[in-house]
Amino acid sequence: MADAHILENVVCPFCGCLCDDLRLTIENDVIVQCERGCALGKAKFLHYREDRMLSSTLRQGSSQIEISLETAIDHAARILVEARRPLIYGLSSTENDAHREAYRLAEYIGAVVDNTSSVCHGPSIIGTQASGEPMASLAEVRNRADLVIYWGANPLYAHPRHVNRFVRAPGEYIRDPKAERQMWVVDVRESVTSRIANRSLIITPGSDLEVIGTLRALVRGHTVDVASVGGVSLDTLCELANAMKRAKYGVLFYGLGLTQSRGRHNNIDAAIRLVQDLNSFTKWSMLPMRGHYNVTGANKTSTWTTGYPYAVDYSRGYPRYQPGEYTAVDLLRRREVDALLNVAADPAAHFPRDAIRGLKSIPIINLDPKRNLTSLIASVNIPTAIAGIECDGAVARMDGLPLYLKKIVEPPEGILPDREVLRMIFDRVKEVSDN
Amino acid sequence: MSNEILLKNCSLFDPVQGIDGETVDIAIRDGRIVESVGSKATIINLHHRLVMPGGVDLHSHILGSKIGMARTMMPEYHRTDPVPRTDTTRAGIGAIVPSSFVIGYRYAQMGYTTVIEPAVPALKALNVWEELADVPHIDVGLLPMFSNSMITYHYLQNDDLSGLAAYIAWILRKTGGMGVKVVNPGGTYAWAHGMNVRELDTTIPDWDLTPRKIIRGLVEAVESLGLPHPVHLHPNNLGKVGNVETTIAQLEAVRDIKGHNGRKHIIHLTHISFDSLGMMDEGVPEWKYVSSGGLELAEYANKNDHFTVDLGQITFGPAITMTGDGPFQFSLYQMTHNKWSNLSVDVELPGGAGIVPYIYNPRSPANAVQWAIALEYALSIDDVWRCVMTTDSPNAGPFTQYPLVLSWLMSREQRKIWADKIHPFAKERSTLMDIEREWSFYDVAISTRAAPARILGLQNKGHLGVGADADVAVYDIVPVKIDLAKNPDRILSAFSTSFLTLKRGEVVAKNGVLAGDGPRQVHTIHPQLDPALWNRINHELEDLINRFYVHSFHNYAVPSRYRENMEQRSVIQSERISP
Ligand code: SF4
Repeated sequence: MADAHILENVVCPFCGCLCDDLRLTIENDVIVQCERGCALGKAKFLHYREDRMLSSTLRQGSSQIEISLETAIDHAARILVEARRPLIYGLSSTENDAHREAYRLAEYIGAVVDNTSSVCHGPSIIGTQASGEPMASLAEVRNRADLVIYWGANPLYAHPRHVNRFVRAPGEYIRDPKAERQMWVVDVRESVTSRIANRSLIITPGSDLEVIGTLRALVRGHTVDVASVGGVSLDTLCELANAMKRAKYGVLFYGLGLTQSRGRHNNIDAAIRLVQDLNSFTKWSMLPMRGHYNVTGANKTSTWTTGYPYAVDYSRGYPRYQPGEYTAVDLLRRREVDALLNVAADPAAHFPRDAIRGLKSIPIINLDPKRNLTSLIASVNIPTAIAGIECDGAVARMDGLPLYLKKIVEPPEGILPDREVLRMIFDRVKEVSDN
Repeated sequence: MSNEILLKNCSLFDPVQGIDGETVDIAIRDGRIVESVGSKATIINLHHRLVMPGGVDLHSHILGSKIGMARTMMPEYHRTDPVPRTDTTRAGIGAIVPSSFVIGYRYAQMGYTTVIEPAVPALKALNVWEELADVPHIDVGLLPMFSNSMITYHYLQNDDLSGLAAYIAWILRKTGGMGVKVVNPGGTYAWAHGMNVRELDTTIPDWDLTPRKIIRGLVEAVESLGLPHPVHLHPNNLGKVGNVETTIAQLEAVRDIKGHNGRKHIIHLTHISFDSLGMMDEGVPEWKYVSSGGLELAEYANKNDHFTVDLGQITFGPAITMTGDGPFQFSLYQMTHNKWSNLSVDVELPGGAGIVPYIYNPRSPANAVQWAIALEYALSIDDVWRCVMTTDSPNAGPFTQYPLVLSWLMSREQRKIWADKIHPFAKERSTLMDIEREWSFYDVAISTRAAPARILGLQNKGHLGVGADADVAVYDIVPVKIDLAKNPDRILSAFSTSFLTLKRGEVVAKNGVLAGDGPRQVHTIHPQLDPALWNRINHELEDLINRFYVHSFHNYAVPSRYRENMEQRSVIQSERISP
């Protein structure tokens, strides 16, 4: 009989919701069924064996030839030791101990180390550095929030269970979420989420800052002498401002539509100030909709190690921080880095075109479980185990809650977790540079 | 290699043993103090330098999401103090909220070897344990917060003290804590409604409970469990002019509770600089009427011995306030209009911890009075054993300012120099300038070593008797040769950088030069319950956690993988509690 068992309360390592109620069936050390996850979570657990890299490779001309792990480590170490301005990037889709190894290596070789928040919620962090941030917790949202606003976010698409688990689910003091909790969506277009919201406000693209500024003025009781702002009538904005002040417990969830549109960190700064102002009237909190399942963890590990959440340069032997300068895209655009160690990210798929041109001109060491666009152009590929499936580790949910990812099945033979591979690279770098 | 060390010619201050500066030799084997060592022992001749047990800090925010958020918010602080890597140590940043590695280094450089993180959100303890791996050189203990938890309230409202005690035991075991932290009981919860609760007998929102009932319940539960460290109290009504009255009322509210095994001290009051504000006669609770409540609290302490305190001494200059007291932090933000963060997920479920940067300004009348409060207290109490020197780091100033605080305590001249520089309210609204007392080395050794270790119940810390951990601080002064009260600058230089710091018998810092990581432990308390009670609490918590939180009961505990290398578990017998 096949060896089959069921695992309950499994954490889904896909998006920042980190749902931890999944139920997996494992047969002969293979996950065969996933219950309670959304389509994205299910895909992660059921297709984990597809598109895998099963051996380290070295690029020669246009082909990738298979090499042993030891040889790959040696190549990686030599590339890093020879580089004058190496960059370590990624980290948001792996567990925290891998980050810690990456920082140790970055410090030793004097690299820049950056995580993917520099291309998603980096502006949110800059906003926080200007103003602080009254952060929500997802449990409090479910238990108490009577007004939830999604701004520039489309959770039904990117965080499919967010609405169901936290907003449309009953909580301790919101027994009937349909009746007692309002959900508003502010976005530049209609979306699947806005269609199920109680109210949807479509604003002109790029007008977020003006709209938030107007809301701040209205909340503070100023009169605003215009007919509309950002394509929304003043009456509607007054209605929103009043609803915000009237709410007992309001929560603003904001997504890339706010962080990556015109205004960027100024949008976030304004949104933070709006929520702070509202606390003089009632209780308000906010939360960024973090995408990669452990991008929050990457900011945390970076901060406790270096003081800074991303964009950290160790070239002087101590950490320095400067978004726009030590952020991966900017470094690549300026052709400033001469080697990349990429961990658990796919910059070749997601970076702007001129940064990708920069990528293509330098040696890349790529650590990832799966084939992707970056693995195609990498000089050295080292396959790794999938955190939360083939190795354990700690991660952080979008509201900062830490969760422990269990190891569920064995990784393919000879495949190690990111942290182990990084440790081996570190040891080899030390040997090579000592000689 | 010999694992025996002999420290020769120590001028030792070890109040637990009653040693007051006598010249002794200290023998160390396998990281502990022993009677004597063999002839092959490594001999270190200290030539009559000042020797004390390693420093014990019982209240310093060094771990977890609050300090993480504070670091994230304050890159402008970090830039002033970059810390480069060396062959043995890691890089980082220093200043007000140092990075994890640097926290360990700076404590070791000052001769401190044990530090307690006093505000752990239990549900985020995993994050704290992860960070612990990157805090070198110091032993650590963690105090989870219990006073704004809906689970605490559930048991209190049902008058189920066994359940409450069992919940505490469960959290300490599953997340690795050593005691119970109480922060603005009920007030932080009320912050979920945008409110605060300031008085002992005000009913809190949603529950039929008052701060009095919460504090009393938690103290009784801690004593019934027999936890070595009593309830660690951050009272209601923080930062309000005249709040020394509320603070005394809260101490008074638990005075009749019997300590376990006949112990007298059943509550530890923390950071009195913030909770002992007096008010001028016929004033109202506004800052212009503020006065020092230090003397009033000291007089109360001299008459009532059921509590201990730490100072939370203001040190002037940049700081960052971070407490589990959400509404207090918001009122601070309304005063400063600087940055403000709130972390709802941080005080168990509701309300939330707050973070607000703050600069203590010597010209500010309020800050000048606050400066005087804790000093007035420390110099007016009869029993230094109940008074621990802290800055509530980084709330009233970073822990690296401890030498400055010691200089104020040890030198009247230094107090005068400072009082002349700051707003005259320090002199006018306190009795500080009339106080002649100057702390001796013996007092310092009590307040920074012996007393905190005793209050925490850490039996092998805070002294250098046979069997103690060989955590030793050596300072580069010869006590008999120098009148420090007349040389406050020497106090600063001597206590800023130890001549030697030994951690379990290993030299971890020498004139400020650090070794790599040394041996260290995280001290946890593991209450053993009646099996029926343990069974009951596991069932009930499964229901309660799954009801109040949006993550699973089964994912709450900190897995042993993060604990096993560091955890030093003390089992206590709490089977008496009826199921
Ligand atoms: S919402 Fe996110 S974390 Fe939850 S199951 Fe879907 S992908 Fe996984």
